[in-house]
Amino acid sequence: MGPRLDAILFARAEPLAFERAWQAQQQLQQRLFRDPTGPDALMLLEHEPCFTLGRGSNPGFLRFDPADPPWPVHRIDRGGEVTHHLPGQLVLYPVLNLERHGADLHLYLRFLEQVVIDLLAGLGLAAGRLEGLTGVWLEGKKVAAIGVGAKRWISQHGLALNVSCPLEGFSQVVPCGIADRPVGRLVDWRPELSCAQVRPLLIEAFSRQFDLALRPPQPHEALEGW
Amino acid sequence: MTLLIPGGDRTLATHEIFMPALSSTMTEGKIVEWLKKPGDKVERGESVLVVESDKADMDVESFNEGFLAAVLMPAGGTAPVGETIALIVETEAEIAEVAAKAPAAPAAPATPAPAPAATAPAAQPAAAQPAVAPAPAAPVPVAAPAPVMAAAVSAPASTASGRVVASPRAKKLASQLGVALEALRGSGPHGRIQAEDVLAATGQPITVPRVAEGSGPAVAAAAAGGNGAAASAPAPAGQAFGRPGESVAFNTLQNAVNRNMVASLAVPCFRVGYTITTDKLDAFYKQVKGKGVTMTALLAKAVGVTLARHPQVNAGTSADGSAMAYPAAVNVAVAVAMEDGGLITPVLANADTTDLYSMARNWADLVARSRTKQLQPEEYTTGTFTLSNLGMFGVDRFDAILPPGTGAILAVAASRPTVVAGKDGSISVKRQMQVNLTADHRVIYGAQAAAFLKDLAQLIETNPESLAI
Repeated sequence: MGPRLDAILFARAEPLAFERAWQAQQQLQQRLFRDPTGPDALMLLEHEPCFTLGRGSNPGFLRFDPADPPWPVHRIDRGGEVTHHLPGQLVLYPVLNLERHGADLHLYLRFLEQVVIDLLAGLGLAAGRLEGLTGVWLEGKKVAAIGVGAKRWISQHGLALNVSCPLEGFSQVVPCGIADRPVGRLVDWRPELSCAQVRPLLIEAFSRQFDLALRPPQPHEALEGW
Repeated sequence: MTLLIPGGDRTLATHEIFMPALSSTMTEGKIVEWLKKPGDKVERGESVLVVESDKADMDVESFNEGFLAAVLMPAGGTAPVGETIALIVETEAEIAEVAAKAPAAPAAPATPAPAPAATAPAAQPAAAQPAVAPAPAAPVPVAAPAPVMAAAVSAPASTASGRVVASPRAKKLASQLGVALEALRGSGPHGRIQAEDVLAATGQPITVPRVAEGSGPAVAAAAAGGNGAAASAPAPAGQAFGRPGESVAFNTLQNAVNRNMVASLAVPCFRVGYTITTDKLDAFYKQVKGKGVTMTALLAKAVGVTLARHPQVNAGTSADGSAMAYPAAVNVAVAVAMEDGGLITPVLANADTTDLYSMARNWADLVARSRTKQLQPEEYTTGTFTLSNLGMFGVDRFDAILPPGTGAILAVAASRPTVVAGKDGSISVKRQMQVNLTADHRVIYGAQAAAFLKDLAQLIETNPESLAI
């Protein structure tokens, strides 16, 4: 029913430093603060290797000396514990006015999980949820991590889907604070997959879940530093 | 809201910040971080703290300019949705006063008081302020049976103690405009009189205020539960818009609803009831609620699909009374009570053909926007059939008033375990709910109403899974 909501897609092929993507998200969030009726936005990218900690994260989940980290560590304004980003992992940052999508953060987390579950179902992979452990799980391994932040119902941060990335870096931390459950990546089930192949599927699954008509940015919608 | 702190005749204006509901399934939230500390200046709209629930963080902002006077729950602590977690005062001088009065946990007598060092005005006799109040200014969906709206019950209009509770701006305006504050009903938290109420009393145009402090969806409260399994929440007593001895003018929305209700007296209505077994529907609901589907969406979808096969029940009498009007679409409206009085009927358009999941999302969006009063007229005036649900309150039967221009409205009561005798004399326990159709007899006759209800019952009782197809 009704037309799909107008939304801007910012997709970037080459890996991006975490700070730059974060700044871009904040610019998008500011726009929606100023005009909550403006378009939603979705950023799709891969990060240069780094670790991020949620606002309430326990530094005890780092297995290295915080003074001498193997990669940059960022403490950021999202929920959840430490996670790891690197090329080969697709990162989706939706900056949405959640008042248009139910105004319910738990529901939003479930919707994000559903995006990945639907995407994987299309690849013949039966992924699912584990009660109380937000994220998407495939045969007991976590393939997508989720953590979001919001202010005035405008979202930032989002989900990270491991496609083809090496997993060694995850052993430097306790991902999401869950010590006893391994992290997985899609190529261990579908060796032929690459990020380039999964990108359009992820965009499609996302736009279907959130009823968005995604389009490239117009000139006046360009982001600084993007 | 304003707390009146004893000691002298002055009024101390204190705004509370409540634990917001980040989700209808959230009952408590963890305070991750205070971005401000007591004594700090706070701008209107500035973030004061961060609340976490599951893997989601939310900044909670102050809707008042002032100073953070007291933090009632430290970072790392957990508080129930609706609980007061901080106090904001309007002037720097009041900080010390609030601190000195040491609140006896002004808002949460039922919970252990926070750190003793914290402030706690042993305010009024307990009755003066209703205790835990939810984020104010939001509609109580009379609709969704799923989440129990415990916390959304509005506090009675302030002033049980007989004092007038008004914002400083309201007081100033009232004296300028010659309005007697005593005669007004406050639309603010706990019935606090806002500047807008004073303007409204003088017939001046008003702008609708945004949601107040830390208000998430005020459809807070214990989730799960299902129909009527009323989760006990720190609910105040029933809602009232005025206090004893007072007479309170209807607001604009109430007046509009009143006109419609009175107009319906000119319609020759009759009522037909049916008992529907919901075991299968309840089981199916459990399967799909993880996908964001609410009971409201399920019922609206079931009604929509059934209406498509009973166009006579979707029809109404034309405005001039001369014809039966058959709408081009099946649009199911769902009645939602607004917390500040009156009700609104957001419309799920094309309920027969829209898929269940889209419908659930549309409904969530409509409720969210009706809460912030952002619905467009076509989003609440184009219903061809109305659904009204009081199931979440445990109501076992009721009837509804027909909205003019439509042919029928269905009143849905709670589903509850019932001892049922089978045709073969067997006895079993099934979950059943009563529905009651109010219809315009000019258009809909008893046989048509009965056939519609029979088909609706059959769909819900035997094949609710088909609603997802």
